[in-house]
Amino acid sequence: MRKMVRLVSTLVVITSAAWLTACSNKPVTKQEPTAMAAPADPKIVAAGKAIATGRSQGNCLACHMIEDGASPGNIGPPLLAMKARYPDKAKLRAQIWDATAANPESAMVPFGRLKVLTDDEIDKVVEYIWTL
Amino acid sequence: MNKRNMIGLLILSLLMAVQVAVAADSKGDMAKMDNPMAVKAADAITKAEAARKKAASVDGEWRDTGKFIKKAEEAAKAGDYEKALKLAKKAEDEGKLGYEQQVSQRELKMPSYLKY
Amino acid sequence: MRLTVMGREIMKKILISLAVLALTATGVQAGPEEDRMAFVKYYKAKFPSVPDKEYANGVYAIDPVGRENWEAIEEFPPYEPFIDAGKEMWEKPFANGKGYKDCFPDGPAIQHHYPNWDKKQKMVMTLPLALNQCREANGEKPLKYKKGPINNILSYIAFQSRGQVVNVKVPMDDPGAVAAYEEGKKFYFTRRGQLNFSCASCHLQNTGLKVRTEILSPSVGHVTNWPVYRSKWGTVGTLHRRFSGCNNNIRAKALKAQGRQYRNLEYFLSYLSNGQEFNGPGARK
Repeated sequence: MRKMVRLVSTLVVITSAAWLTACSNKPVTKQEPTAMAAPADPKIVAAGKAIATGRSQGNCLACHMIEDGASPGNIGPPLLAMKARYPDKAKLRAQIWDATAANPESAMVPFGRLKVLTDDEIDKVVEYIWTL
Repeated sequence: MNKRNMIGLLILSLLMAVQVAVAADSKGDMAKMDNPMAVKAADAITKAEAARKKAASVDGEWRDTGKFIKKAEEAAKAGDYEKALKLAKKAEDEGKLGYEQQVSQRELKMPSYLKY
Repeated sequence: MRLTVMGREIMKKILISLAVLALTATGVQAGPEEDRMAFVKYYKAKFPSVPDKEYANGVYAIDPVGRENWEAIEEFPPYEPFIDAGKEMWEKPFANGKGYKDCFPDGPAIQHHYPNWDKKQKMVMTLPLALNQCREANGEKPLKYKKGPINNILSYIAFQSRGQVVNVKVPMDDPGAVAAYEEGKKFYFTRRGQLNFSCASCHLQNTGLKVRTEILSPSVGHVTNWPVYRSKWGTVGTLHRRFSGCNNNIRAKALKAQGRQYRNLEYFLSYLSNGQEFNGPGARK
């Protein structure tokens, strides 16, 4: 009986987690997660870097250390080894789009969900961050 | 002409003057409203303002929403309906998100990191 | 038969744990003193070497580099002229011949009375609000709540009150007072603005960490040092001006200074600082 309850609750957690991830991943569909091998377009990466490090838009440096970016904050983890940490680019995008989907207590700004950045801007930021 | 007739005539002419004024006014509006983009922009601005107010009613208004609506109104006045539409849509989105943000937190949920 | 008894037992257990969960989730069981103790304990775990009394110094309790600059600034306090101007205000009679002294007989050192729950008006009374009520009762125009001369008289009162201890009371037998405190607490923990931060996101969850070069201050000690001369402002400003600035930073529309929401937030925040010394006016970056 108890085993049953545990099984059911585990199942519920798993399905709801899967559902949540599926939801937050929605805008990713146009991106191929297997684009790993393809080299990133340097123009897009540069545009992403401008958004990520500028103060008015992404302002990632407010909370994250990035390369040699000037006066970084330390609220979030340093952005390095991103390919190793996010083998699936879509997961990285989902994290930037809305980190509170995976962790409701995350202090990270939901850049996509609350429209701080457009989908296109987020795509560019993801390309840049993934090179780090 | 007696006094009564005189007053009647006066009232009649006043009424006519009002009618002419109203007609002229609506004619001006009609000219603008002939442009479907103008109608669309005005509608979008009305919707944005409603969304902003709804967010404000739960203390959920965002910083720039009102500014976007003001800019949308200015753009519409200047005939740049494309820009007005874009700004109004942005403001409406913000109003809706700000409202949802507060309503979804109606119940106070204490963070797990604060231990009692 | 055995099964149904067991089923009932399980049912009961589930119901109890649900009830407990609901209570913890809404924070109903935690009163003001439990809240304060939880904050103190949290900061103590984060900054074990910082003595309790240090929190009145705000971010400089936990930022040794910033503290050096601050101590240098305090040698020639930038808020001094405002204290002098405030002394003049305090002593100058209103047009009707009366003055602040008549409204506040135990003044000017009255900082420790505020904020308080005003039973008659059924609202949180703050010092700026009380000063304006005094002015209006005597036929004077109220002062603006964020910038300008209100900061002079507040600086004088704060200076005269230095060394007094924060001692906010929430009368638990008064549902209005409890509701005001709870509303302030809810405000503190509610995410707002496009950046989706609550007060707690920065000043509890991430206290001591840096946004760019700025270290985030703890909430214990947030209210002791007002009004504050901020280098960024180039003048002295009120606590509610700072609330507005904070809300603006997270891209939320600021609420009205001295409106219900900010006064209730001040009530909650001030309770957290109970036991800390008043040391205003302050100087900050």
